[in-house]
This record gives sequence, C-alpha cells and structure tokens, in this order.
Amino acid sequence: MTTVIIAVIVAFILAFVIGVLLGFFKKIFAVPVDEKAQMIRDVLPGANCGACGYPGCDGFAAACAAGEAPADGCAAGGVKTAQAVAKVLGVKVDAEDHVVVLACRGCKDNCIPRGLYNGVKNCAAAHEAVNGTKMCQWGCVGFGDCVDVCRFDALSMGDDGLPHVDTKKCTGCGMCIKACPMHLFFKVPVSRKGAVALCSNRNENKAMVLKTCKAGCIKCGKCERVCKKGAIKVTDGIPVVDYALCNSCGTCVEGCPTHVLALVENII
Amino acid sequence: MNQYLSIFLKSMLVDNVVLIQYLAICPFIGMTSDTGKATGMGIATTFVIILATAVTYPIYYGIMVPLKLEFLETLIFILVIAALVQLVEFYLKKSIPSLYSAMGVYLALITTNCAVLGTTLNCISKNYNYVQSLVYAAGTACGFLLALVIMSGVRERMKSSTPPKFLQGKPILFVTAGLLSLSFLGFSGLIK
Repeated sequence: MTTVIIAVIVAFILAFVIGVLLGFFKKIFAVPVDEKAQMIRDVLPGANCGACGYPGCDGFAAACAAGEAPADGCAAGGVKTAQAVAKVLGVKVDAEDHVVVLACRGCKDNCIPRGLYNGVKNCAAAHEAVNGTKMCQWGCVGFGDCVDVCRFDALSMGDDGLPHVDTKKCTGCGMCIKACPMHLFFKVPVSRKGAVALCSNRNENKAMVLKTCKAGCIKCGKCERVCKKGAIKVTDGIPVVDYALCNSCGTCVEGCPTHVLALVENII
Repeated sequence: MNQYLSIFLKSMLVDNVVLIQYLAICPFIGMTSDTGKATGMGIATTFVIILATAVTYPIYYGIMVPLKLEFLETLIFILVIAALVQLVEFYLKKSIPSLYSAMGVYLALITTNCAVLGTTLNCISKNYNYVQSLVYAAGTACGFLLALVIMSGVRERMKSSTPPKFLQGKPILFVTAGLLSLSFLGFSGLIK
C-alpha cells in the first residue's frame, strides 16, 4: 500500500515540477509572435500548396504581415481569401474572380481542315507533328486538351469543333491556359467591359488570312480608326484594347469586317 | 577506452536500433523519402537520445531506486522525454530559429519515438554506469542516423527504377528494409 502511495506522490511531484519548469521556460524563451501573421495564417486555406511562391501558408502569412507579399497572393484561396487577408492587413484589394475566353473563332465553317489527320488525337501532338490540323496555324486544333484538364467541368467541345466555356462554372484557375498548345485562352475579370479580339492569327498577309479563315483578323486597322477613344492598337497583328480608355461603345464591333471583335460583357 | 569503443560500435552496428532491434520503424519508413529529410530527422533524434539518456539516468538512480519505484520507469521516462523535447523546442525557437524551422516538425515527432524510450530503458536494463550509458546512447543514435541515411539513399535510387506493379510503393520498401536488416546481421559476432 505504501508503495502505491509513494508512487502516486512521486508521479504527482514529478509532473508538477515538469509542468512548472515548462511554464517557466516558456516564459523565458517566449518568442514574440507576429499577431498579424497568425491572423493571416488563420484565414488561409492551409493546403501548403506553395503556389504563392513562399514555403507553405506560414511562409506566406509571415511575408504578408511583413508587407513583402501582396494580399491577393494566395492563388488557391481566390477572392474570399484575398479579401479576408486584406481585412486583416487593413488594405483594399481589387481581387476578383476571373474566367477564361478563347481567342479563336475558327469553327468548322470558318476554318477548314488542311487535310486528313490520322495522328494522335490530342492538340499537343497535332501541333508538334503537323503544326495543327486546320488551315490557320494559329487557330484552335480542336481535340480538346483544354476540356481534358478542366477540373470544374466548365469546358465542353461544341459541335462546331471549338471548346465552349461555361462561365458560371469557370473559376479562372488557368489550367486550360497551360494546356492549350496554341495559347488561345486568356483570363478576364468577370466585371470587365469592353471590346476584345477573338482571333490569334498573326499573319500580316491579308490574302493569306482570308484564305485560311473567314473569321480571321485581316489587319485592316478599321477598329483603330473608328475608335473615338483611341483605345485600340493593332499590335503584332492583333487588335489590343486598352481597357483604361475603352468605354464599351461597340463601334469597333460593328465596324469589324470579319467580326473578330466582340464586347467581352456579351460573351462571358 | 577500449570498453567504450566496443559499446559504441556494438550499439551502432551489431545492435542497430532500427535494423536489428526493430525500433523506430515509423521514421525509418516515413522520413526517408529524401536524404536531406532523413539527415535532419537523424540529427534531431541523435540530439534528443543523448540528452534524454543524460537526464533519465540520474532520475532513475537518484529518485526511483531509493524509493523502490523501478516499475514506474516507462511512465516516468515518457513523461521526462516529452517534457525534454518541449524544452528543446522552446530553446530552439528562441535561440536558433533557423534550426527550429528546419527541424521543428521532426522534433515534435521525436516525442513519441520509441528509439528514444528504448535507448533509455536499455541503459538501465544493461546496468551501465553513467558514462557507459552516454556512450551507448551516442552509439545508438549514430546507428539510427546511419540506418536512415542508408535507407534514403536506397530510396532515391529506387525512384528511377520501375519495380513490378504489385511491388510498387510500400511493399518494395519493406522488402528493402528486410534486406538491409539481413545485411546488418553480418555484423553479429563482430564484438563479443
């Protein structure tokens, strides 16, 4: 019986001493934790994916609190996380959701196949082997590599041979942008208004463009001329819109002879 | 001197903690996916094993033997080791933050590592004196580090090979561990 009592007492004393020691040492070796970093860390997804370029969520939170990383730097968290982080930091972010747009209108009717392609049925292979299957070597190959990589079911192959974006499902993750060998997808913020060029043909030869695709940009420069704000510049063979100037009047869309331009608010 | 050398080599090679005593299999499998990780884990464990032995030995012979509480050794040793690892963690966090962030995760894992507890209990059951215990702990820890580094080296080589499908992943790892263990049996009889 005495052994049991002694054992209990000893265990109790030992635990007490260790507890006191630990508490004591915790005070001595206390490290001032950056409260901001901790708060930021709490609103992050905690997946430690490293997409922000910092070593895990802790690294990003520390960098964010120190002002080195932008509040909207967390790619996995999206707008919600960006706003939560911005709230902690007391700044404003204009982060918003993005969707992708396909810069090609070379459907079956507009852009005919160059020949019979019997190779591997994916865009990357067709692009590597024969520079695409259609007359236009800048256009959509049409085997749906983008559809395969989309994890949100936002892309589907239409009957016209072009992928279609379901903008309600699209999260703007950018997987299709990476997958497309022709680099035809680009991200736009959902609130964007203004004209956008839906062609990627950079051939400066007007006759060649007309021969390859009915919906190709023929570099006539009419959009540049009709725009009252001077918001459009044909750069590298494609009309590029300056959204700081564009007021979404639609003059260029009406003026474009091959209907390359469209108002982005109408297509997303 | 000779005696210490023989204890060191025996605990490191002949009675290797992982491959012969089959302790600490979890870090042996879980922490050896690359050599850097394995080395970090090995060094952290080395440090804790030696420290734990240095602390538990006086507690055992100073407190528990006079009070006839030898049967409590498992309980009290675990308590002491866990507290010790916590202390080390506090200290590192304050003094050497870079080292803390480098091995912070491993440190917490070592709290429940059976190699640490096993070493401290072995020192008692082998009736070593204090210096012998420390040498034994150092040898065991080096053996642990050695086993982890060897295994991680083998695994890095294995990454570029294609085992049959039914062996891919963990099965080939256990087969490898068994072969390593067999090869370490070759050291038996090296030291009497």
